[in-house]
Amino acid sequence: MLARLDVAERVQLQFDVEQFLYEEAALLDARRYRDWLGLLADDIHYWMPIRRTVTLADIEREFTKQGDMAFFDDDREMLEMRVRKLEAGSAWSEDPPSRSRHFVTNVRITGVEGDEITVDVCFHLYRTRLETEVDSWIGRRTDVLRRHGASFRLARRHLFLDQTLIRSTNMSTIF
Amino acid sequence: MLGEARLDPTWDRASILALFDPATGTLDRRVLSDEALYRLELERIFARGWNFMCHDSQIPNPGDYFINYIGEDQMICVRGDDGAVNVLLNTCRHRGNALCRAEQGHARSFVCSYHGWHYALNGELIGVPGQKTYYRGDLDRSRLGLARAAQADSYLGFHFATMAPDAPPLHDFLGEVGRTGLAMVCASGEVEVVDGVQKNVIDCNWKIAVDNLFDWYHVMYSHASAGHSGILDLAGILHPNNQMVMLGEYGHAISGPGVPKEAQAKIDLMSDEERSNAPGPAGLSRLRPKSATELMGPNGVRSLGHPNIFPNLWITLNGMQMCLRLPRGPSKTELWWFTLLPKNAPPQFRQRALRAAIHMFGPAGLLEQDDGENWSQSTRSSRGFSSRRLGQALSMGLGHDEVTEEANGERYIDTCVNEHGQRWLYRSWTEWMAARDWAELEASHSPAPTGRV
Repeated sequence: MLARLDVAERVQLQFDVEQFLYEEAALLDARRYRDWLGLLADDIHYWMPIRRTVTLADIEREFTKQGDMAFFDDDREMLEMRVRKLEAGSAWSEDPPSRSRHFVTNVRITGVEGDEITVDVCFHLYRTRLETEVDSWIGRRTDVLRRHGASFRLARRHLFLDQTLIRSTNMSTIF
Repeated sequence: MLGEARLDPTWDRASILALFDPATGTLDRRVLSDEALYRLELERIFARGWNFMCHDSQIPNPGDYFINYIGEDQMICVRGDDGAVNVLLNTCRHRGNALCRAEQGHARSFVCSYHGWHYALNGELIGVPGQKTYYRGDLDRSRLGLARAAQADSYLGFHFATMAPDAPPLHDFLGEVGRTGLAMVCASGEVEVVDGVQKNVIDCNWKIAVDNLFDWYHVMYSHASAGHSGILDLAGILHPNNQMVMLGEYGHAISGPGVPKEAQAKIDLMSDEERSNAPGPAGLSRLRPKSATELMGPNGVRSLGHPNIFPNLWITLNGMQMCLRLPRGPSKTELWWFTLLPKNAPPQFRQRALRAAIHMFGPAGLLEQDDGENWSQSTRSSRGFSSRRLGQALSMGLGHDEVTEEANGERYIDTCVNEHGQRWLYRSWTEWMAARDWAELEASHSPAPTGRV
């Protein structure tokens, strides 16, 4: 379907998708987690497999598969639990709160099927907390945005981190 | 330089034993920060002890390998052509280069990327480029095989290795308590590791991550927000007044909620079918089958707590997960999470189990998120000149409990939330650290406690 769009339609779609992703990133950086939940489809799948350092011969085993272990394997209910935790007033790993900056770049629309748009994105999530803690998580992700009125709802986020050994105390931030 | 010498004391036997006072539960904070003590740990704790390497199911076929560590030494755990598991130091005998750069995989042999030295799966040096032309035949390959662990053995499918030729056999090292701890993983039958070991780094001393696993005191406070999130009922799993502790020789221990004796007596009368339909006693767990009593002992089977196989292998979620705490300097620790499920678990069970495993522990787990900073900040304050002069106070329950000894040899403490496990860990640690070799450790270490503790 993507191939059937003319240039003007593609430019418009690219613009709309990028604006949605920037708004979403801004909500997370502003710690507006409740509002962020409002952007999620009810059937969202939010998943980050485990990546391993493997040889080229074993490269098909670089990432764990769906149904095996992962860092995140969340549905909407789980993401709501994460937000409830952040709001609890006792989430010590986020109080004092982390300062985070969500960068999205290399935004490529790779598919349009019905009302769903598949977007391939490079991300950089920078987090610093307390005086000395600095985390930098870079990777690629595949989002599926579903049309919702004049905007979108996030229906899938699959995150492929570039680190294998996670060089962080925790991942208490939403990617 | 004079100042340096004073700050870096020689750790002789007496000064090491003085680092923990079992009579008061006071721990010297230098245990968590001192560089010289850390270097001694690599020798006297890790190289000397039996270290968990991998589970049988991770390397099912000849050539399958998994990389793990003994302290900071990288070990290749590889299944040989004869089916036996070889544990080899991952360092070429020529210039020390690492042979395996991947975390896991499959190999027919190991070839060094530096000069092409070529080793068989059993570590034998089978090829050296230029052996005839450049070495002119003057190289004895038989003396330059990969260094092997001094001993490697397995219990219930868990492979362990030690660099100490004089270490007692694995079975004896584990003792009742260590074996009961590992049996918790297999209490409902044969298990396999789910693909994917979560690994992350925390800026803390490895021992504070270990002693925390005995600590059921922090759960309601540190993890309050996880309770608030709705993922689990903290009070429902904690049972603060039904805690059972087992302290084993060499520092192994199990601590946490325990099924009271009267309740267990009723479970003992149930058939396996009745057990599989009954709700578990602590939220997460299922009732263990009858066969678990043979593996874990009539009292060990009551434990819903946390075993630690000394020094650094934690078993949790009633045996569904294991976490290794690997030392990376006095104030850095890697956490490796292994998840184990019954072989051929029904899809629904597997899904529920993985949902718990992924969302409780690991760096993004709702429980675990809040632990790391407690540990890193406690480690940090053990470095400051003034704060490290204050001890840590591990006195909870000291002198208030009694070890029950059964005719079958089982020893346990039925009590409330306590710090027995932490005290036993540090007491054992000082004894391991003070002894120069296994003979001295065997002659001088404390037996598992009896009587009043």
